Amino acid sequence: MTIPGFILRNALRNKRRLTLTVLSVALSLFLFTVLQTALRELSQPQVTEQSALRLITRHKVSLASVLPLKYQSRIARVPGVKRVSRLTWFGGIYIDESNFFAQFGCDANALFDILTEVTTDPEQVAAFKKEKTACMVGIKTMNRFGWKVGQKITLRGTIYPANLELTIRGVYHGGIDETNLFFHHEYLDEATGWRVVGCYWIQAANADAVADIIQRVDAMFSSSAAETKTETERAFQLTFLSWFGNVKLLIGSICTVIVFTMMLVTASTMSMAIRERTREIAVLKALGYNGGQIFGLILAESFALALVGGLIGCVGTWFLAQNVDMYVLSHGFFVKFEVTPHIVSAGLLIATAMGVVSCLAPAVASVRASVLDGLRELD
Amino acid sequence: MDQAIVQIRELSKLYRHGDIEVVALNSISLDIGRGEFVALMGPSGSGKSTLLHIIAGIDRPTSGRCVVEGTDVSELGETALAAWRKQHVGFVFQTFNLIPVLTAFENVELPLLLTGLSGRERRDHVEAALELVGLADRMKHLPRQLSGGQEQRVAIARALVTDPTLLVADEPTGNLDAHSAAEVLGLLQTLNSAAGKTVVMVTHDPKAAAHAKRMVHLEKGELLNGGGS
Amino acid sequence: MAIPLKYNLRNLRVRWRSTIATALGIALTVAVFVMVMALARGLKATYVNTGDARNLLVMRKGSTAESSSQIERSKVLRFKYHDEIARNERGDPVASPEIIVLIQLDRIDGGNANVLVRGIGPIGLELRPNVKLVEGRLFQPGLAECIVSRKIAARFAHCRVGETFRAGKRTWRVAGIFDATKTTYESEIWTDADEVREAFSRSFYGSVLLRPTDEAAGAALIKRLEVNKDLFVRVLPESEYYKEQTKNAGPIQFMGGFLAIIMSIGAAFAAMNTMYAAVGARTREIGTLRVLGFRRRDIYLSFLLESVLLALVGGGLGCLASLPINGLATGTMSWTTFSEVAFEFRITGELLLKGMTFAVVMGVLGGLLPARVAAQKPVLDALRSV
Repeated sequence: MTIPGFILRNALRNKRRLTLTVLSVALSLFLFTVLQTALRELSQPQVTEQSALRLITRHKVSLASVLPLKYQSRIARVPGVKRVSRLTWFGGIYIDESNFFAQFGCDANALFDILTEVTTDPEQVAAFKKEKTACMVGIKTMNRFGWKVGQKITLRGTIYPANLELTIRGVYHGGIDETNLFFHHEYLDEATGWRVVGCYWIQAANADAVADIIQRVDAMFSSSAAETKTETERAFQLTFLSWFGNVKLLIGSICTVIVFTMMLVTASTMSMAIRERTREIAVLKALGYNGGQIFGLILAESFALALVGGLIGCVGTWFLAQNVDMYVLSHGFFVKFEVTPHIVSAGLLIATAMGVVSCLAPAVASVRASVLDGLRELD
Repeated sequence: MDQAIVQIRELSKLYRHGDIEVVALNSISLDIGRGEFVALMGPSGSGKSTLLHIIAGIDRPTSGRCVVEGTDVSELGETALAAWRKQHVGFVFQTFNLIPVLTAFENVELPLLLTGLSGRERRDHVEAALELVGLADRMKHLPRQLSGGQEQRVAIARALVTDPTLLVADEPTGNLDAHSAAEVLGLLQTLNSAAGKTVVMVTHDPKAAAHAKRMVHLEKGELLNGGGS
Repeated sequence: MAIPLKYNLRNLRVRWRSTIATALGIALTVAVFVMVMALARGLKATYVNTGDARNLLVMRKGSTAESSSQIERSKVLRFKYHDEIARNERGDPVASPEIIVLIQLDRIDGGNANVLVRGIGPIGLELRPNVKLVEGRLFQPGLAECIVSRKIAARFAHCRVGETFRAGKRTWRVAGIFDATKTTYESEIWTDADEVREAFSRSFYGSVLLRPTDEAAGAALIKRLEVNKDLFVRVLPESEYYKEQTKNAGPIQFMGGFLAIIMSIGAAFAAMNTMYAAVGARTREIGTLRVLGFRRRDIYLSFLLESVLLALVGGGLGCLASLPINGLATGTMSWTTFSEVAFEFRITGELLLKGMTFAVVMGVLGGLLPARVAAQKPVLDALRSV
C-alpha cells in the first residue's frame, strides 16, 4: 500500500455515499457544461477565415425591409468586391411551423464561390445550377427530416405570398451552419412576381478591402429611397445574438446557482465523511502523522472525488454532443452545440476547486482537534 | 536503575470545566529507566491516563517537565511532536483502533508510509513485526475478520514497526477476555525482556499489572509511595 | 403507534449542518424551477392578455404572423363595410387596417434593439380598451406623430413626449405615452397606418383587426371572408392568434423542465446522503425504538417523514427566495416578430404549490432507500453497534 492507495481506501470506504456524491458532482458539472455550451452558442458567432471576408448589406431600417434589385450591379462595381449574390430570407414553413430552419433565395451561380468553406459534390452543384426549382441543403437539415437527394419538398410562404416546390439536388457539409437551404432567387421572383431582395451577400477580394467596401456601399445608397447598412457577417450575426441578452443572463445566473449547490452538497458530504472518521484521524496523529499530512490526505480525497465527478459530468456532456443531435432535439434552436476544450477545462477547474473548498472547513477542524478529543469521540 | 529514559519533574495538569478547575496531576516526579516495564495503576480519575498521554506526547502538561530520551516533550510544537512520536513512541489503545478498511498488513504499514522506506523494505519490516506478534498467517485479514486478541496484537505490531524505544499501552486488555488478555500481556513481557523495549502500561487490573516489573500507583493526581514499587 | 414528529424535528436540528446544506440544495433547485417557470408563465400571460376574444384578426392566407401578412387596400375596402362588423357611435365600422414594421432604436443603456412600430386605423384604439394614454395626447394623422408605450419610453433614447427620432423616410415626434401593462403592446410604438405605409414604402396593409356585432355575426363573417377565394384571407379571433404566439415560451419551458429534472436528481442524491448518514448515526436509537415496541413500519415512516420535512424546509426556502422576482420586468426575443417582447415574471400560488410538490418528491426519493435500510436493521445488531 502507498499513500495514494490509502487515500483511495478511505474514499471507497462508504461506496454508497461515494457514488451519490460523485454522481451529484457529475450531474452539476453536466448541467454546467451544457449551459456553458448553450451560452457560448448564444454569444459567439462562428467565424472562419472565409467568412471574415463576407459582408451583408441590408436595408438600414430593419431586416424586414427589402432592397431594390438594381443595387446588385452597383455593388458589384465597388472596388474590392469580388462577388455579390442576392440573399433573401424566405421564412417558409415545411409541413409544420415547428420545423423551423433557414431558407435563402440566392444567385445559384455565385453561391458556392462565396460560401467557399463548405464541401459539395461538383456534380450536385452543377445539377443545382441547371434547374430553377432546385435547392441545396445542409447535411443537418437533410438528416433532421430524413430527406434524400432528388426528393421534392414544398415550402409554404409566410412573408412571400407563394409556395415553393423545390427539388433537392445536393447536400453541403461543413462551414458555419449546416442547416440552411439555398434555392434560386429567380424562382422566388417568378413565384411572387416581385423584384425585391432581402440582403446582398458580398465577398471581398481581401481582408484589407472590407472596411472600405462597407463605407463605399453605404455611402453610395445614402440618398436613395432605400438606405443600406453593410456589416461583416460576424457583426450581422452578433445583432441577432444580442437579442438573447436576457436569456444569457438567465443561463449565467443558473450556472452560478448550480456551482453553489454543488459546493453545498460536496461540502456537506465531505464533512459527514470526515466527522465519521474523527477517531481514526486521532489514531493517525498518535501514530505520528502531523497536521499537514492529515490535511493532505483529506484534501486529496475530496479533490479526487470532485475530479472524478467532474470528469463523468464532462464526458456526459461530450457524449450528449457527440451522440444526440442537439439541432433536432432543440427544434433548430442550437445549430452547433460544440463542447470546447475551454468549457471542459473550466468545468473541471470549478469541480476540483469545489472539491478543495468544500473540504477546507472540516479538514481544518480535524487538523486542529487534539489527539485526545479525537480518541474520546464515541469512546 | 540505569539511565532514565523518561524523566518527569514536578509535572502538573489542570483541566478547566467552566469555572471549576480539576487537578488531574499534581506536581509529580518520576523516572522510568531503559528496559523497564512499568504499570501505572489507580482508580478512574486518578490521572494515570493523563500521565501516559503526556509521556506519549499526545497531551501537554500545565507545568513541569517531561523529558523522554533527552527531549523535553512539553516544549515541542505540534508538527515536531508528531515527528517525535513517529520516531520514539509506539501506542497501543484499549479499543485497538485499527483502520477498518485496511488489512492487518496495511494497518501495520501505516506508520511506515511516512518514512522514506521503499516498498520492499516496508514489506520486510511489516512482516517481521507481524511475525513477532505471531500473526504472520493473518496478514491479508481485515480487522473485522480477526478476534479481539488478534486485533490487539496487530495494534502492537503497528506500534512496533517503526522500532520505537518506548511502548505505551492504555488499558491494552480492557476489551479482551481473560485468555486473549494473557496472550497480549505475555507478548508485552516478551517484547520487554527479549527485545529490550521500555513498556509503560496503564491498567486498573491487578492481574494485568502483575506482568510488569514495577508498579506505580496514582490517586487523585498524586503518586502513592513516592513512585516506588 | 407512530413515532412523534417532534423526534424528527429534534434530529434535524441536532444535525443542523447537514440539514442546512441539504435544505439549501433543495431550496436552490426549487428556486430555479419556480423562476424559470415564472418566466415562461409571464411570457404566456402577456400574449394571452393581449388578445381580445371579441375581436377578429384578418390576415393573408398562409401567414402565421401579422408581420408577414399583406392585404391590399382595395381588398380591405371590399369587406370593411360588411353588415357583420359593428359600427361606433359615429357610424364608422369598427375595423382597423394595420401594418407593422420593425425599426432599430438606440437603447438608453447603449446598443440598439428592434422595436415594433404598429400603424393603426383611426379606430384602432377603440378596439383595445386595455390600452390607455397616460401622458401627452394621441398622435394626429398626417403630422408624423406617434405614441409610445411606457416601457419603450423608459428604455429607448429620444422616446419621451416632445422628442423626435428618425425611422423610414420620416422624423417622428412623440405625442404621447400609453400604458398597455401586461400585453405585448407594451413593447410597441403606435402611429397612423397610412403614414407608416408611406414612410416605409409599403403598398399593402398587414392585417385588419375588427369587431363583429356579436358572436354569431363573427362566425358568419369568418365563413363569408374565408370562402371568398379572391380575398385569400384567414380570419381568426384575436385571442386565438395570441394564444398561438405563446409557443414563444416553449424553449423557456423546455429549459425549465430540463434544469429542474437534472438538478432535482442531484438534490435527491444530497438528501439521500444526509438520510443515510442519519440512519447510520442513529442505529442504536433505532434498536431502542424497536425494543420499546415500535414496528418496522413506524421506523420506516418516521425516516421517510424526516426526509420530507427536510425537503419541505428546502422547498419553503426556495419559494421564498424566488418571490422577489415576481413582477420583475424582463424581455425576450419574439420569433414571430423578431422584436423584443417585454413581460413580467409571474409567480402564482399554483406555481409555488408545484414547487413545494416538487420538493416533496425530492424528499421522498431521497428518503425511500435510507428509510428502508433503517427499518430492516435487526434489533440486536442495532443495539450492539457502538
